[in-house]
Amino acid sequence: MSSFSTRILSGIKRLVVVALIASGLGLLAFGPRAGEELPKDCVIVDYWEKWTGDEEAGMHQIVDDFNTTVGRKEHIYVRYLSTSSIEQKTLVAIAAGTPPDVAGLYNQDIPQYGALDSLQPLDDLAAEHGITAQMYKKVFWDECHYDGHLYGLVSSAYDVALYYNTHIFRQSASALEARGLDPQRAPRTIAELDQYAQALDRFDPSGRITLAGYLPMEPGWYLNYTCIWFGGSWWNNAEHKFTFTDPGVVNSFKWIQSYSDRLGPTAVNDFRSGFGTIDSPQNAFLTPSVAMVQQGTFFAHFIHRQNPSMDGHWAAAPFPSALPNLRDVTYCNCDVLVIPRGARHQKEAFEFIAFVNRQDEMEKLANLHCKISPLAKVSEGFLAHSNNPYIRVFDRLAASPNAHPTEPIPILPEVNDELNDFEQQLQLQQVSPEEGLRQVQVRLQQKYDQFMEDQRQRRKQHGQTAF
Amino acid sequence: MTSSRPKFAAHLLLLVICVAALLPFLWMISTSLKTLAATTAYPPTFWPNPIQWHNYVDVFRNEKANFLLWTRNTLIIAVLGVTGTTLSSALAAYGFARLRFRGRNVLFVIMLCTMMLPFPVTMTSLFALFRWLGDHTGIAWLGTFKPLWVPLWFGSAFNIFLLRQFFLTIPNELSESARIDGCSEFGIFWRIILPLSRPALAVVALFAFLAIWNDFLGPLVYLQRPEQFTLVLGLQNFQSKAGGTSWHLLMAASVLVITPAVLLFFLAQKSFIEGIATTGLKG
Amino acid sequence: MAKLHSETRALFRGLAFVSPWLVGFFAFTLVPIAMSLYYSFCDYTLLQPPLFKGLNNYRLLAHDRVFWKVVLNTTIYALMALPLGMIVALGVAMLLNLKIRGLSIYRTIIFLPSLVPTIASAVLWLWLFNSKLGLINTALRVIGVTNPPGWLTDVHWAMPALVFMSVWGIGNTVIIYLAGLQDVPRELYEAANIDGATTLRKIWHVTLPLISPVIFFNLIMGIIGTLQVFAVPYVMTQGGPARSTYFYTMYLYDNAFSYLKMGYADAMAWIQLLIILALTALAAWSGKRWVHYQGS
Repeated sequence: MSSFSTRILSGIKRLVVVALIASGLGLLAFGPRAGEELPKDCVIVDYWEKWTGDEEAGMHQIVDDFNTTVGRKEHIYVRYLSTSSIEQKTLVAIAAGTPPDVAGLYNQDIPQYGALDSLQPLDDLAAEHGITAQMYKKVFWDECHYDGHLYGLVSSAYDVALYYNTHIFRQSASALEARGLDPQRAPRTIAELDQYAQALDRFDPSGRITLAGYLPMEPGWYLNYTCIWFGGSWWNNAEHKFTFTDPGVVNSFKWIQSYSDRLGPTAVNDFRSGFGTIDSPQNAFLTPSVAMVQQGTFFAHFIHRQNPSMDGHWAAAPFPSALPNLRDVTYCNCDVLVIPRGARHQKEAFEFIAFVNRQDEMEKLANLHCKISPLAKVSEGFLAHSNNPYIRVFDRLAASPNAHPTEPIPILPEVNDELNDFEQQLQLQQVSPEEGLRQVQVRLQQKYDQFMEDQRQRRKQHGQTAF
Repeated sequence: MTSSRPKFAAHLLLLVICVAALLPFLWMISTSLKTLAATTAYPPTFWPNPIQWHNYVDVFRNEKANFLLWTRNTLIIAVLGVTGTTLSSALAAYGFARLRFRGRNVLFVIMLCTMMLPFPVTMTSLFALFRWLGDHTGIAWLGTFKPLWVPLWFGSAFNIFLLRQFFLTIPNELSESARIDGCSEFGIFWRIILPLSRPALAVVALFAFLAIWNDFLGPLVYLQRPEQFTLVLGLQNFQSKAGGTSWHLLMAASVLVITPAVLLFFLAQKSFIEGIATTGLKG
Repeated sequence: MAKLHSETRALFRGLAFVSPWLVGFFAFTLVPIAMSLYYSFCDYTLLQPPLFKGLNNYRLLAHDRVFWKVVLNTTIYALMALPLGMIVALGVAMLLNLKIRGLSIYRTIIFLPSLVPTIASAVLWLWLFNSKLGLINTALRVIGVTNPPGWLTDVHWAMPALVFMSVWGIGNTVIIYLAGLQDVPRELYEAANIDGATTLRKIWHVTLPLISPVIFFNLIMGIIGTLQVFAVPYVMTQGGPARSTYFYTMYLYDNAFSYLKMGYADAMAWIQLLIILALTALAAWSGKRWVHYQGS
């Protein structure tokens, strides 16, 4: 290489170095920063929340409402901080001694957090504010408790129903009618659901699935609780025992497995690999690749956001159950606001939590999130103007005596991981439902007993309030 | 090995290997320029058509990710960490390479052994330790960048080893004559050895930069809020939120994460290769 | 007396220079190691004071089928990825050592993948392995494979997929081998040529013995690296499907930060440390037979 071109090359190199360093320094000096201007005369309540996007924007409105009304009067300013994997991060932050004042967790975090003494019990603060059990739909009030203590209050709540594509139902009317099924309505029993699903399945000439009537794995978010539609339960709270071998539980998983048996596990896998997440136009219900799905109240919002052309071409109905006398069964979940142990501004934090639980604010947020209100009293205006056209179905289900909460188990993360593994094995036909559930039962019961035993010993050694 | 046939075969093989090494990059770049519809079209095509440059703009404007802020965070940690580890490692390496004192070799062997220590062994206790520091100094450690860069100011075994190997090659006469001129030991280190070791220091700084740029488990454990994330942690976060959908944006973000490392490599290719070669050779 | 004095001064001077490392070693290595050993004998939730339980965690681990599953998975991964990576890297390095033209270009391209941050490469390969839209299955369909595997969603293919991917990032190892190969004196090959040795015999009798220290180094680093595999499966498979890619460090991390069982996690960490030490010692012991150091 001539010395001339070498010089050019080193010149270019130097230029790139300078550009890199300059852009780095520029970013350091002028780049975006975390943090914002905060009002001086207020108590700052740090509020960590999991939501991003539309959900975040919705909650921001409530936070702004608070800051400009009650907050201004009481000199409280709530600062919303969006946090990912919030359940882990908050736990770790509490352990680190740097918790937020309010954390927006999932209701299923309450047992673990509560058992590890990491949340402030809210019984007294709630009583002071006149917040009582009668104000809530029972299932949500229960989900805010662990071991007799109130550890959080609801921010946003939903329950699960069957969404079905009425357009496909109409298209396949003859196939449905041939089986004696009514294309105008949703299936009412599990047996009927299977019939509908088979009538709606479509395949291409090479035998590949192009449309599935129903797939338990899509989205498969509520498989752990499918047993409730079979009249079963895997937890006996009175005796603190798992009951995974309960016939209702076994039957529910046998039913789930029947779908991969019928369609073939690899075929289902291939079919599903093209599906997008709930918040994408490639979502299986939207493309449409699946005609019926088990989903929560909020799904209506995602349908509208990602594929508005589907508005009016779907409907929601109670998810069918396997037993004839079992009606209006649903699984309920909510997001909760909690005050971590060691939070600095607990009274102020609760002011905000109570504000969110006012009927007007709760319904405003529920509408923005496209969810139901967890409160017992629901205004007609809310039901009439909800973004979910089937809100009355969901509201009725959540108030039904067959509305089922998350089981109050302090080792839920392990339970979920274990069940998740079992469900994957089941889908791959690696294990039979009976054998798999037996293994799950043994392992989780042992983990649970060990956990409770350790906690008992710890209380004996260190007294009630640890640390 | 002078006949041309084996050489031809070698070229052919290497060509195949290089294509295999490069294809993933090309697929990444191609996807990063596709429209969302094109990424999900079946069967997929190699050439993006139409080419959608504004994916790269969209990455920065995405509501789920603040890559500019994350880059800045990474740079803060990198500047503090690289400076610290280079200086402190050089100091320690000088001690190990050019000073004789009792116990030196024992300490050196202990130091080499720490290279084998799996991070998980200290992970949980370091977490507890940083909490203890926070409780007892009144300055928060967890939830800040400190756990990620302060330990780097105490040298790292790998860098100390690398620099020691280099310091050993500098002739002793240089320091001897300085010593006769009345130069202090630190003066010799600072004024004679360090200036002579610029290439080695550059290698150490480069490796330290890359290690910080690439680190995942550390930020995952110590950082709690998205506005503190490093670029790599942010990418993972973005992937878990947008994965399965916005592959074009995800690939554009990946290109942005990779580019600085690749640029640095091209700028300092020689030092890089030599640095890596040294680590393996003189062990 | 004067000698003692100067020796003490030398000691202090030496310690002063290595003090940054020494202080860091105590604060960030020795103390945490001791703490983690203690916690491994405790039930420790991080939120409550530790409760001493003796060997309970180790006893529970012995009966934890997920623990054995991750041990098995990690062993299988190491047994596939380590030899494959080392052999392929050595082969590529030998090709590069043929003194052919364009060496630096080949070398650069082969090294490039190892510059990619682990997470970025995981994200990238997640896309490449996509069973419907990924590059790999598209290529396989083009060459006539009608039913390519689902890779990461297939319980039998997920692990091989991760191994396959790990080979992509061996550029680092190639460079180390190449440097070793270039140190082999040419006269030795010439002497072997005169003896009429075949290429294979030359590799076996000249090359391999002479670069055995480099192989040894790569072996040790490989053991340490593969046994700690975490970030790639954490991003790509989360251990699935059906825990077929659930590795040791992932279970350890979940126990520590998801289940808040720090004591249990520390017990796992200590077992991992002991295994790595044992394997390294074993490699060193066997190395006495096959590693030849020049000169020394």
